[in-house]
Amino acid sequence: MQHNLMRRLASAIVLLLSILLVSACTVAVPQGGVQAPAQAQPADLRFTVWINPDHPAMVAYNEMAQTYMADHPEVASITFDTIPFGEYTSKLTLQLAGGNPPDGGWVLENTAPQFVASQVMADLQPALTAAEGYDLADFSESALALWKAGDGLYALPFSTSPFLILYNKDLFAAAGLEDPNALAARGEWTWEALAAAAKTIAETQDVYGIEGVDGALYTSPWSTLTPIVRSFGGDFWDADGNCTLNSPETVAALQFFHDMIFVDQSVVPPGEIGDFFTGQSAMTLGQISRLTKLDNAEFAWDVAPLPAGPVAQAATIGQAGLTIFANSPNRDAAIDFLTYLTNPENSQTMGAFFPSARRSVINSEAFLNGNPRLSADQMKLVVAGIENGQVLPNHQNFSQIDLAARASIDKLWRADADVQAIMDETCAAIAPLLLK
Amino acid sequence: MSTNISTPRGTAAVKQKKRRASTLAGRDALWGYLFILPQLLGFLIFVVGPLIAVIVFSTQDRNLLFGTATPVGLDNYRTLLTGDALFWQVMQNTLYFSLLLVPLNIVVALALALALARPFRGAHLFRLVYFAPVVTAAAAWAIVWRFILQGENGTLNQFLRLVGIDGPNWLHDPFWAMQAVIATRVLKNVGLNIVVLLGAILNIPAQYEEAARVDGAGSWRVFWNIKLPLLAPALLFVSVITLIGSLKVFDHIMLMTAGGPGNSTMVLVYYIYYQAFQFFQTGYASALAVVLFVVTLGLTILQWVLRKEEIQ
Repeated sequence: MQHNLMRRLASAIVLLLSILLVSACTVAVPQGGVQAPAQAQPADLRFTVWINPDHPAMVAYNEMAQTYMADHPEVASITFDTIPFGEYTSKLTLQLAGGNPPDGGWVLENTAPQFVASQVMADLQPALTAAEGYDLADFSESALALWKAGDGLYALPFSTSPFLILYNKDLFAAAGLEDPNALAARGEWTWEALAAAAKTIAETQDVYGIEGVDGALYTSPWSTLTPIVRSFGGDFWDADGNCTLNSPETVAALQFFHDMIFVDQSVVPPGEIGDFFTGQSAMTLGQISRLTKLDNAEFAWDVAPLPAGPVAQAATIGQAGLTIFANSPNRDAAIDFLTYLTNPENSQTMGAFFPSARRSVINSEAFLNGNPRLSADQMKLVVAGIENGQVLPNHQNFSQIDLAARASIDKLWRADADVQAIMDETCAAIAPLLLK
Repeated sequence: MSTNISTPRGTAAVKQKKRRASTLAGRDALWGYLFILPQLLGFLIFVVGPLIAVIVFSTQDRNLLFGTATPVGLDNYRTLLTGDALFWQVMQNTLYFSLLLVPLNIVVALALALALARPFRGAHLFRLVYFAPVVTAAAAWAIVWRFILQGENGTLNQFLRLVGIDGPNWLHDPFWAMQAVIATRVLKNVGLNIVVLLGAILNIPAQYEEAARVDGAGSWRVFWNIKLPLLAPALLFVSVITLIGSLKVFDHIMLMTAGGPGNSTMVLVYYIYYQAFQFFQTGYASALAVVLFVVTLGLTILQWVLRKEEIQ
């Protein structure tokens, strides 16, 4: 009897394991090209974003959703789900791979090529071209380039935001330095001038001269280094997959920056904390979305354009796209809502937080006067950045390249670093990944 | 199957009695199994199931984002052994981390437990102090230590400067970063081992020590010949738990160094995370997870066998 029971139990376990095994093998369903079922019932739309629910942009999104639903009975509800920025892509990917894909959401710029290649996003081109009054041609080709593949457009850049120099006016005045915008007006705002100002401030004011983007220079150096490297005529890699990190121009730029860190000692060094937003550094590089962090600043601040290098001024922009996922259960309804969210009128409203890539928006008076934290003159810097800017470096294997490069790039952050040798080593490490 | 069939003929009463007994035992067993069924189901679904899935995944070329899964046999293991230089560095880092952390943790825990076992004023306060980091959030712990270990403005280096030592940039030096991560991890978790060892020490009957002292044994001899052998089971338990914990370290590394500088603190679980959730290579990540499982199992068995011999 007991043995009998044991045997039955054992066979039950074996059966259960087999089921688990079989299900484990069949979970993998190709995600691309899954057709959305016909929509009969009102749809519940869900979008993933990385801003907090109390962010002013989220309030604006929700108001737009209310207005849209009033005219569209086929949509029962629209929710915006927050996923924290640091884990955004991995959690979004898990949702897409699991049985619970969001209908749409934001996509980060440095994952754009990977997302486009994986075909998890729906082609928006036909719907946006056909939509009345939408005017897709209003977006510049360069702004859409990152999100295109063949004839398809897989996401729409809702934010095309240039990097600027954010600076502490009080510290500049205390150090007796000329205002960066005055220098820029005379065409003298160069990396040399920035380095000199940073050095003076570091020597006289007991704070650091400049902090990297989001204080993450040594863990994620790409965005901080892009403007200076490009202004020296260099780059990280080219469109054909050739590594240019060890080109003479790139190495000259990195050597210049290395000297700022270890000779001038004006950059927040590795392992130290020197937050611009709390007054511990006189300058940083940042986008206008970061300005909300200055709402309670106890110092006067301003924004200046990126400095010019020996070759160019190298305006640099960061982008984020809004997309609809290919296996969204309500794909057509979701695309229609995306069309509404990014139409000229709503793009204008969202421009206060995320600069649009629509020419009609950024050239309007309303855009210049629409940002509560910046004057029309300051907004002109933003417009100039959007019009001339080149997006940050990206690649389909960006995260692999980032890890492979890190082993050698970390060696740059020592006083005795041989920049050329380290960049040769970096290129050797990432070359195979660039070509994949 | 019935056990009574094999019962010899002729003794009907005995047979009857036996059948009743075995039916009773069977019914008891049935109830027993029913009682453990919920736990067993949970174990099968949430432990055994994923374990098997990971083994299956490890033989596939899987990409989480692309949604692809192609069987590739043992290719992932081949890549890992011959085509991934970082894997060997990761394994080296992981073993270095564990082999330094476990003895350090045990020695510190044992020393402090012995000290705390003696009655003195404020003993309870000290027990609390050493246990507090265990219940502190890992994130808070790591962030505070990142402040303390800053290169120039860090508390530790400012203190060292007072005594004339020019401290390194702890978390940005490939050698010191690993030592710093190990030391702060020991400080975080040593309290748990102190509690276990303290309990074991307090359980040692006082007569043993008294008897040894009467025979003329000094403090060191008492510790070496009386206390340590009696603590062996507790030490085994503590070292196995600490070893397994050290092989699974993740949050601490992520928050303190993010694997840097130059991958010098990249340990296995953090590398698995990278492969699965940054690169979306879930097949390869599963192969790495299988390696972690085998290493953990192997080291635990080894430790078990070695200590068991010693205890006996």
